[in-house]
Amino acid sequence: MARGNVSRSQQRSVDRDPVEGYLAAVAARLAGPPAARAAITDELRDGLLETLKTHCTQGSSPQEATATAIEEFGDPATVAAAFAPELAAVQARRVALALLATGPLVGLTWIAAAAVNALPPWRHQLPGPWIALPLAGLALVIACPALGLTVAATGRLGRRLGGRLGRRVTFPPTCAAVAGLAAVLVDVTLLAIMCGHALTGSGSTTWAPVGLAACASLARVALAGRAARRCLTTRATLT
Amino acid sequence: MRAEVLKGHLDALLLATLQDGPRHGYAIKEALRAGSGGRFDLPGGTVYPALHRLERAGLIRGSWSVVNGRRRRSYQLTPSGQRALSQERSSWQDFSTAVTALLGGEPWPAAT
Repeated sequence: MARGNVSRSQQRSVDRDPVEGYLAAVAARLAGPPAARAAITDELRDGLLETLKTHCTQGSSPQEATATAIEEFGDPATVAAAFAPELAAVQARRVALALLATGPLVGLTWIAAAAVNALPPWRHQLPGPWIALPLAGLALVIACPALGLTVAATGRLGRRLGGRLGRRVTFPPTCAAVAGLAAVLVDVTLLAIMCGHALTGSGSTTWAPVGLAACASLARVALAGRAARRCLTTRATLT
Repeated sequence: MRAEVLKGHLDALLLATLQDGPRHGYAIKEALRAGSGGRFDLPGGTVYPALHRLERAGLIRGSWSVVNGRRRRSYQLTPSGQRALSQERSSWQDFSTAVTALLGGEPWPAAT
């Protein structure tokens, strides 16, 4: 059940059914991708109803069985807190994989724009606004290891990382946020350079590939920025 | 028995409950309770997050089914999980043998 998106019929069910009320209390405290949160509540529902059934077969009334099952599962805040590191890891991994998948595409659009227009970097020159290009390179140098570490720490390698790094629950969202912010820096730098290039009006420009690259970067600025902010919010809930 | 007592051993115990085949979360919790003679009666809020962690580590694999009209997630060991269970079992046997020798009340070697 998504947070803050409870229909009237769902709300009636929550008010009437203590199990649904408990699950709603847990769901309200979960942060992370909606599908992952819904999967958790589905799984907990099955476990709670199985527990309830067991108590009923042992002679408890439905009311007693429900109360006991909920008590055995634990306080909603504690249960949600136990899931928080897992949800943070899932979120960080998704962000990292999305950046890894889209990064080369955005890069290729800029390379194509540079090649078609024989822009200064294509001629191994960095005049005027292009002097800022190494900043994008620096951001890439930060983003790539951050992405690699996020994917490693949140997958099968995470167990092998061991030590303080592997156990540190804030590590994946921090790394993913750093990668996202670095991606934003790359795009903002490229867009600013291109604006400067357009304003100085040096040479004729075929704008279609430049426009495509700029649109790709603008889209990534919006998505990576939002993803980084979410990872930082999640990180704050873990500390 | 509180979950903290099992710290460091919970993963191995969860893997062990799956050695004979897939189980869903409640069945795993019940297997731990019954297999330990009622000593390890963990809250569901402890068991489910640990299962998610093991799945992310590639040691177990989860799959959904629909039972009695509701979604159920069952878990089974992966080959990596089977190897991890064997290693955990072996290191536990070494550890318990050493601790039993030290705490078993046998005479200590003479001081030199």
